[in-house]
Amino acid sequence: MTVSISTEHGVGAADAAPAPGSALAARTRGLRKTYGNTVAVDHLDLDVPEGAVLGMLGPNGSGKTTTIRMLLGLVRPTAGEVHLLGKQMPNAAPDVLPEVGALVEGPGFHPFLSGRENLRRLAALEPTLPSGRIATAIDEALERVGLASAANRRYRGYSLGMKQRLGLAAALLVPRRIVVLDEPTNGLDPAGTREVRNVIAGLQDSGTTVIVSSHLLAEVEATCTHVAVLHNGTAVAQGELAELLETGNAGLLVSTPDTTLAVDSLRDNRIPARAMPEGILVDLTTTTAPVVVETLVRAGVGVHEARRQRTGLEELFARLTDAEPDGAEPGALSEVDDLVDTPHEGEAR
Amino acid sequence: MTAATVTAPGTAPAPRRAPLGRVLRSELRWVFRRPRTIIAIALLAITPIAIGVGTLFAEGGVNEQGESPMVSMAINNALALPIVSLGMMMVFLLPLVSSMSAADAIAGEAANGTLRGLMLAPVSRTRLLGVKAFGVAAVTLATTVLMAVIGLITGLLINGTNTMITLSGTTLSFGDAVGRIGFAVVWVTVQMLAVAAVALAVSTTTEHPMVVMAAVMGGLIVFGILGTISALDWLHPVLLSDSWESLPDLLRDPISWGGMGEGLIRAGCYIAIGYSLALARMSTKDG
Repeated sequence: MTVSISTEHGVGAADAAPAPGSALAARTRGLRKTYGNTVAVDHLDLDVPEGAVLGMLGPNGSGKTTTIRMLLGLVRPTAGEVHLLGKQMPNAAPDVLPEVGALVEGPGFHPFLSGRENLRRLAALEPTLPSGRIATAIDEALERVGLASAANRRYRGYSLGMKQRLGLAAALLVPRRIVVLDEPTNGLDPAGTREVRNVIAGLQDSGTTVIVSSHLLAEVEATCTHVAVLHNGTAVAQGELAELLETGNAGLLVSTPDTTLAVDSLRDNRIPARAMPEGILVDLTTTTAPVVVETLVRAGVGVHEARRQRTGLEELFARLTDAEPDGAEPGALSEVDDLVDTPHEGEAR
Repeated sequence: MTAATVTAPGTAPAPRRAPLGRVLRSELRWVFRRPRTIIAIALLAITPIAIGVGTLFAEGGVNEQGESPMVSMAINNALALPIVSLGMMMVFLLPLVSSMSAADAIAGEAANGTLRGLMLAPVSRTRLLGVKAFGVAAVTLATTVLMAVIGLITGLLINGTNTMITLSGTTLSFGDAVGRIGFAVVWVTVQMLAVAAVALAVSTTTEHPMVVMAAVMGGLIVFGILGTISALDWLHPVLLSDSWESLPDLLRDPISWGGMGEGLIRAGCYIAIGYSLALARMSTKDG
């Protein structure tokens, strides 16, 4: 499974990569990072088109954060290249980073300072922020993440969600060309999660490229235009979200009162199909939907409705990352399994 | 890539770094708002009062047997009290403040997850180290200046203005005395900056501020022990603390500069080596 999708990766990348005119906000080639004997990231070729919202998915320990840290020039790769906004990292960091906002590995602030004071410290270091605009920029950023009312309280007393919001505010202090968010919804309540989704949508509308890593597949499916699935430090699939979902095993759901006759007549025509509670599921890998419907009608099977079965991101993710045992901690794996198994069972019933 | 830049929000070429003055002010603001910095400076600032008042009471009681000449000098001398206080505190407590400050500057920020934020702002590694060194120097200087001022005032309150007496028995003018106290402040600060340079170098290698403090204070204790072993005379020139005993030379008339001059050279070497190591480590450090 992994292999078939990995070759499909060419499909998604084909839109983004080769044409010299089409711009990539971030691009890695042969990226590799090792810590001692541990390989964190290996052979990673990532393409992030300008203006895209890229969801970076992967189990714990799959190399998401390490990749992000290399993208931002915080860590020097063991091998390979990173280009951010067309410039090579980490050497071009001073040129590139003023236009990059980031929330990496959770929010980091000083507990003895207020949220506003913490932001003021970072704002003073922003090259593109004129001194006269600092106070306004801080107020706007706080407002944008819904933290204005708690701005003058000490960071020490913030809840996890408030800390996360402050981290987001720091990334949004000035207009950015790229915003990188590592697990931005971590610790947020549903309202906070929705706000983050709105913030990401707002960034996308203003043409900002967003790279967001997440465990929450539904979140990614709702907000992202592109997806990269990381597993054991390498990308097992990447491309436009819609296209990736298409490349999953395509099926046609046909609702019919006469399931047995339908399955038999399709099998006579060498089209794989199986009975489902509400009809039949036809495998479209060797045929097309019109052919299936025509075959059924000719065989005298009544067809109420025929629709493409969408592969959920969760299913795709499960197929890509469950293929082999990996080094992720057991808790994280079982969590992913839980997320993924439910729809399977739902379909089978 | 020209097509890529069209979508940039600003059209003018963006500045690559924030104004230096703004960055330094921001660092000072952060450093002097930290409760432990304020407490440490305040505690050290009252030590001259404690020494002055303590020796005032000791004067009436026991005679001076066993007391070091430095402490007894402080009893009736507004020139000596600030210099003696600095001399006593520079052995352990002043290095403690400098190394604590240096530990917080980089290792502490790394432990907090805030160092990453500074690097992403972005502040270049070299500039970041410079800003941090500036912050540590500011804390060190604030402490020594405050100690000297409070020491001078305490000495004047206890003994009046006509008691600027040197160890050699001569009396100095007020201006001359203040000049010598000022030199003591500078000299002690430079010695502490040497300690801080080494502490910053250690600070770039770890995420644990505790390690920095332990390494620096442990090192000073070892230096102190080695300094007392006469069989290791050949080693003494490289021990930073070896020249710290020459501070009371400022109380002589005329001043003997030899020991303190040597101390400055020694501190200069430590500062150069410490910052070189810190810079080398900082430029390859993972953020």
